[in-house]
Amino acid sequence: MSNASPDRDGGARERLQRWLPKLVLSPSCVLILFFVYGFIAWTSYISFSDSGMMPDYTWVGLHQWSRLWTSWTWGIALHNIWVFGLLYIVSCIVLGLVLAILLDQRIRAEGVLRTIYLYPMALSFIVTGTAWQWFLNPGLGLEKTMHDLGWQSFSFNWLIDSNMAIYTVVIAAVWQATGFVMAMFLAGLRGIDGEMIKAAQIDGAPAWKIYARIIIPQLRPVFMSAIVVLAHLAIKSFDLIVAMTGGGPGNATAVPATFMYSYAFSRNEMGIAAASAVFMLAVIAALIIPYLYSELREPRS
Amino acid sequence: MSFLHINNVHKRFGETHVLKGIDISIEQGDFLVLVGPSGCGKSTLLNMIAGLDSISEGELLLDGRCINDVHPSRRDIAMVFQSYALYPSMTVAGNIGFGLEMRKVPRKERREAVDRVAKLLQIENLLDRKPGQLSGGQRQRVAMGRALVRDPQLFLFDEPLSNLDAKLRVDMRTEIKQLHQRLGTTIVYVTHDQIEAMTLASRIAVMRGGELQQLGTPQAVYDDPNNLFVAGFMGSPSMNLIEARIVERDGVPVAQAIAGDTTLTLPIVRDRQALRDWCDRDVIIGLRPEAITDPASANHREGNIHEAELPVELVEPTGADLYVVTSLGGAHINARMRPGTPLRPGERARFAFDVSRMVVFDPETEGRVRDERTADVGDVLETA
Repeated sequence: MSNASPDRDGGARERLQRWLPKLVLSPSCVLILFFVYGFIAWTSYISFSDSGMMPDYTWVGLHQWSRLWTSWTWGIALHNIWVFGLLYIVSCIVLGLVLAILLDQRIRAEGVLRTIYLYPMALSFIVTGTAWQWFLNPGLGLEKTMHDLGWQSFSFNWLIDSNMAIYTVVIAAVWQATGFVMAMFLAGLRGIDGEMIKAAQIDGAPAWKIYARIIIPQLRPVFMSAIVVLAHLAIKSFDLIVAMTGGGPGNATAVPATFMYSYAFSRNEMGIAAASAVFMLAVIAALIIPYLYSELREPRS
Repeated sequence: MSFLHINNVHKRFGETHVLKGIDISIEQGDFLVLVGPSGCGKSTLLNMIAGLDSISEGELLLDGRCINDVHPSRRDIAMVFQSYALYPSMTVAGNIGFGLEMRKVPRKERREAVDRVAKLLQIENLLDRKPGQLSGGQRQRVAMGRALVRDPQLFLFDEPLSNLDAKLRVDMRTEIKQLHQRLGTTIVYVTHDQIEAMTLASRIAVMRGGELQQLGTPQAVYDDPNNLFVAGFMGSPSMNLIEARIVERDGVPVAQAIAGDTTLTLPIVRDRQALRDWCDRDVIIGLRPEAITDPASANHREGNIHEAELPVELVEPTGADLYVVTSLGGAHINARMRPGTPLRPGERARFAFDVSRMVVFDPETEGRVRDERTADVGDVLETA
């Protein structure tokens, strides 16, 4: 009897140890299943329903989707996200890479500079948007300062110019994310074998060729990561635009996220909004899933 | 005029004095091995020859031309790195041809040169692969190909074999030596492995703490070490270093060492002149394991054999040899005997000492005590 009980205790403890992680994790699993995947499913269903101001579960097939794709505002939003996304990704990568290369020249104040460049990332998009809105507001920021300083002919009114407003959003977004991209590239550059650069020097390659032919090709994984991170940030961009331009002037800076918000909450077209949301999810998934797949598979090969 | 002349070269990194006046000269076709423990400055010296590190003081002459301030790419040198430093984004052919491409060699000539080197190194079938798809030994070959293809005046090797496994290392060592013999190139090679140094070099430079300890042929460095450090560093198992005392017997100096409860007296053959002044003073005597054997394997014809009976403490068979440990002068010493010599720990056995190979060191300065060098010692050393 006496030597059977520790066995049973041990068995119980072992069983508890086996089940404990599952017990601890299951509530969050249930919550995620319901609130994330459940609502994704719900939104998808709504996009096929006759919902207006309130959810309405009448099945209408692809009606909302065809209304979405014939909508003129949706066309503007898509065009804007292309312009914004391309300029944002390309500028961030080019500037980030250049800054990283410059910072990698063993300069003295590297630590300080790196922090300065990285700081914008610590701000929320709302703060960035508001600050840049003030700065670019002709009656308040840069233009007024220049006028006050005596440069009366100075004019910079992109923020209220419907042709140029989208570029001001690009500037603000690039300002915020460049430091982060720079940090990624800097980490990549630090990982490159110094002997390889010495070998290239002995081989007679000038500095720019060492970068172009040897170093930058090795940063391919960093480029991949940067593009994926920036692309999904671009598609998700909502708060920055709301804070800076509110989608305006007119619809000049509308993007799919602001389109979705305004159709769901101010235009009482929940069905179209759901369709646009599902579309954005599909695009992001098309970017992220192959990336995650290749990233998670790599260590094994 | 020598081919590569390193003339009183110093290196300082801020306050630290890394190289303290190195003088080495080698002739065309020489295989110079810089050997020493890590931190001795050998890699720094190699980087300075390559032009990757600046020279704080002194002069570097290659084929009569001062190359102190010449850019690495214009020194007419090629280097093989420890990590191989292959360019991962290029194919093997691209890697080998990169130096030629940078020197604007036309595509066709480049292709021919790459093919020639690939054939020499037997890597023709790898030319279209990326470095990531190669094994360690193959990468090593590609790295050598990249150096060979440019046909430079001087090759530099920075511990090229240290990333290979033991067996491959021996194979590649042989290949490097064959390549050197076939092509007659001049090589400066850095390693911390004294066996690599012994097998490859035509000249060895033993370094420690930024100073050259000895420069000479492998045999000279092995048989006639300049100081205790060189004696202990070169050779495996290393030289037996025994505390002893020089006393005068019948008008000639002899060395006496304590062997348990008795005293072993070894006659002195080498450096007798210098050791006359050392009577009644403590010294350290050095004897290689192969200079202490069983009486039957001792070379009685050429050597100067002195036999003594000592206790056997330990027997270590290696297959090819039998190492017998005994104690002398308060330390364990290794004797190399014929395999199958019937010895058991605890027994007493006869040991044959080849005293003609005995070297004597000053325990305070750690330097050698030796006669003024005569012509027949010859090619031994340039510095102390």
